[in-house]
Amino acid sequence: MEKQSFYQEFEIFSKRTPTSHFQHQFSLLAPNGELALVMAQENFMRREPVADIWVVNRKHLHGLTQDNKQALQRLDNKDYRTTKGYGYLKKKWRHYEQVMLDEKEILSWGGGGKKDE
Amino acid sequence: MKKRFYPGVGEGRKMNNEVTPEYKKAVITLLYQLADDDYLFSYRGSEWLGLAPHIEEDVAFSSITQDTMGHAKLYYTLLEELGEGIADSLAQLRPKEDRCNSLLVERPNGEGYYKEAPNYDWGYAVARNFVYTTAKKAKIDALKASSYAPIREVAVKISTELYYHKMHWTTWFTQLCSATEESRSRMLAALQEVIKDAGDLLSFGKTATHITACELIESEAAIKERWLAIVTPTFEAVEIAIPLLPESIINGRNGQHTDDLTSAIETMSEVYRSDLAASW
Repeated sequence: MEKQSFYQEFEIFSKRTPTSHFQHQFSLLAPNGELALVMAQENFMRREPVADIWVVNRKHLHGLTQDNKQALQRLDNKDYRTTKGYGYLKKKWRHYEQVMLDEKEILSWGGGGKKDE
Repeated sequence: MKKRFYPGVGEGRKMNNEVTPEYKKAVITLLYQLADDDYLFSYRGSEWLGLAPHIEEDVAFSSITQDTMGHAKLYYTLLEELGEGIADSLAQLRPKEDRCNSLLVERPNGEGYYKEAPNYDWGYAVARNFVYTTAKKAKIDALKASSYAPIREVAVKISTELYYHKMHWTTWFTQLCSATEESRSRMLAALQEVIKDAGDLLSFGKTATHITACELIESEAAIKERWLAIVTPTFEAVEIAIPLLPESIINGRNGQHTDDLTSAIETMSEVYRSDLAASW
């Protein structure tokens, strides 16, 4: 059984404007979520403008263990997942457009040649 | 260093005169097994695109599949450097008889076809991914001590991504084996299907002794021990007996394959074969 204690740890998130993202700010001790909310406001947000607050009991956070952080490693071979991985397409298009234009021109010469005869 | 063939890091890629033709042959044989396994497995994963049980898993599974294709590319590139031909062509154009992948990766995902009523079983996908990924880890861990430096380097690279792959599939496997009675019985059935085909998964084929003698990788028995050590905690956690890997009926390492491989090669190389001169 987990040891019950009166005070629990809460992680506090807030945003500065209605359209900004929530950002993690601080942690505090409180007996429950309602009290954590009212504590958060007066302890940490007395000076900065604030548009909204979230409080999350730390025991409800799932995080990576030190060991599991290895899962975040990845190889540097995934250009195809970023826009820069497709930078070469522009050059390719130009090349093919050029080829198509050349063909058109050659065909038009052929037409011209006929007229001359 | 008592090892006779020991190309140092960096110079190993040159495959210079230090290595005998027999050693080179063993390297090539092993590389084809590793490359073809990841390539086919990645292809089977790609056939799940858009079909996974929910969108988040679809994206995660696809990412893993891309990683695996990247691993296959690393191996094919080593083969290219050894004069075997262009990596893309090695992946796309080799006929069935030349392939060295295991039986497990050539099995279709289930009834139907990708574009036509795919009736794939997610339980089978999870069980196959779990078994394949843990087997891959057993090999990669051993390959980090390979006598061939380029393989060592590739093994270190692959193991960085393999950590997440194993975590992903172990989580799915554990949860489905212990969620409900239905999920558990379906997982048990799926596991049985997977194990039935896993006879050649940890085999190195008829050249096994030679590959081991060149110290490219540990013996099949040692790899099996590694695999057991990797999967035991998971099977114990879900209270399922550790499955016994069967004797292989056909051995993919020796070029023995089913017709499922023929159709897989046809489909996956269709675009590549349509214009061999194109640069993609």
